[in-house]
Amino acid sequence: MDLRNILSEIGKTDPEVYERLSSRRNALKSFGSKVAVAALPLAVASVFNKAYGKTTSVIIDALNFALKMEYFECNFYIQANSITSLGLIPAADQPGFNAIEAHERAHVKFLISTITALGGTPFTPNYYADHTSAPPYIPLAYDYRASSNTVYAPLFNNVFSDYHTFLIAAQTFEDSHIRAVNGQMATWAGNAVFSQMQQLLATEGRHAAFIRLIRRNLGAIAAPEVPAPWINNNIPPSFPAGSSVTSGNIVLQPFYNGEENTMQSGVDISMLADTASTSGYVPVLSASAAFDEPLSQTTYNNLITPFILP
Amino acid sequence: MKILQSSEIERVEELEKIPDPSRRRFFQLAGGMAGAGLLFAACHPVTKPTDIYLGKGDIALLNFLYVLEQLEADFYTKAVTGAYLGISSNEYLALIDVRDQEIAHREYIKSLLGPTNISKPVITNFSGVNFADRASVLQNASVLEDLVIAGFNGAAGLFTDTAYPLSFLKLVSVEGRHSAYFRDALSHNNFADTTVVDINGLNQSMPPLAVLTTAQQFLTSRFDSSNLPQ
Repeated sequence: MDLRNILSEIGKTDPEVYERLSSRRNALKSFGSKVAVAALPLAVASVFNKAYGKTTSVIIDALNFALKMEYFECNFYIQANSITSLGLIPAADQPGFNAIEAHERAHVKFLISTITALGGTPFTPNYYADHTSAPPYIPLAYDYRASSNTVYAPLFNNVFSDYHTFLIAAQTFEDSHIRAVNGQMATWAGNAVFSQMQQLLATEGRHAAFIRLIRRNLGAIAAPEVPAPWINNNIPPSFPAGSSVTSGNIVLQPFYNGEENTMQSGVDISMLADTASTSGYVPVLSASAAFDEPLSQTTYNNLITPFILP
Repeated sequence: MKILQSSEIERVEELEKIPDPSRRRFFQLAGGMAGAGLLFAACHPVTKPTDIYLGKGDIALLNFLYVLEQLEADFYTKAVTGAYLGISSNEYLALIDVRDQEIAHREYIKSLLGPTNISKPVITNFSGVNFADRASVLQNASVLEDLVIAGFNGAAGLFTDTAYPLSFLKLVSVEGRHSAYFRDALSHNNFADTTVVDINGLNQSMPPLAVLTTAQQFLTSRFDSSNLPQ
């Protein structure tokens, strides 16, 4: 098939294909008569990589990583919401957690169908048995107490019996989920998936804020944590005064490292004018809070491995 | 033959300065034709000489988002200055936080635009907001935040240079946090209802022009969005 025809066909569905290629002339110049026939497949691939950045398999891999995160969160809320009779979540907050569970279930379904549509094989957690009805609840796959882990076990031991512990876990999971999806977004740049994953990110931002607001309203927050629905600096959630857990902040610090960043696209946000603030510049705390920072796939996987059963 | 009104001529002259050959050609053609005024009206039925031109392509999208962030920053500046009576310290601190974060967003986008930012001041109109009333502030803050998120989502796929949406998604999840905060403060558990999150769990997205049209209720300034990508 002639490359001109290929570009023309793409142009019908993606009118910007020539802009992506910087110009039609340059694109076609690459395929002048001097290009050896044997070199053509590679050359074609390089042109399309230039236009669309990533191959489909890389896009699918990143979506599967996102799906892994959704399974992890979804199962966490299903488990918490199913034990309301034991008094974990107060009735006043229950509708909110039901909504979050519904969203995470929807995200699992959405990602499965997106990955399938792209010709990929959706990720399945360990112990996932039912491939026909696709229920996202796989209680055997996770240990949210991290009971075999020496670092997290003391922290999350009461995650499904103590509301403070549950909220701290939920906040940590939501914030790091946002950060890890954020870290994958470059993979989807230029693809239709990008906008949808951005929409998913906004929903996760809502979840994190809801949980943080409940913790703020409970008044059970110890310094140096500043009670807020957004991430100030790189401050992890704190356990309330009198809690048997005293090292919570230190243990959870790795989930928040890097959030203190104030540089965006080479611009130091804390040096931008803000006439409303006393310093005349955007306060450092706000400069960091105004942007959620990405986490790499490796960092995120290392952070949640203690919660996933082998 | 209809003679171009002076305001229309000024408008054309202003447009002539825009380094956009297709636009310039259009007006050269239009100027030389009988009934040019009619043609002008037909092509730009809603554009007035006083409208602020957003630019075209990525610049138009950036200026569109710049307008939204100006809107938010101004809203919270007024909300903090005229804070409602009996506001709790937590709510007051949150308003200050959000104000400074929106100013950070506004100034960030302005710095990305450099000399191509719309230098004309954007005049807001919050006459429909009662800043002395808690419910009015929270309600309107929710509306604004939801609109801005929808706008960022709608613009994300329209950029030619994907570096822009890549840098903005870091602030989109923060806008999600803002919206959830104001919605929940107004009505507990209402931080992500079905009006803003769809059946796939995805936050609402709207085309830029639809967002701008809805945002007009908070704006005195009007915009020439003729080259705003859709």
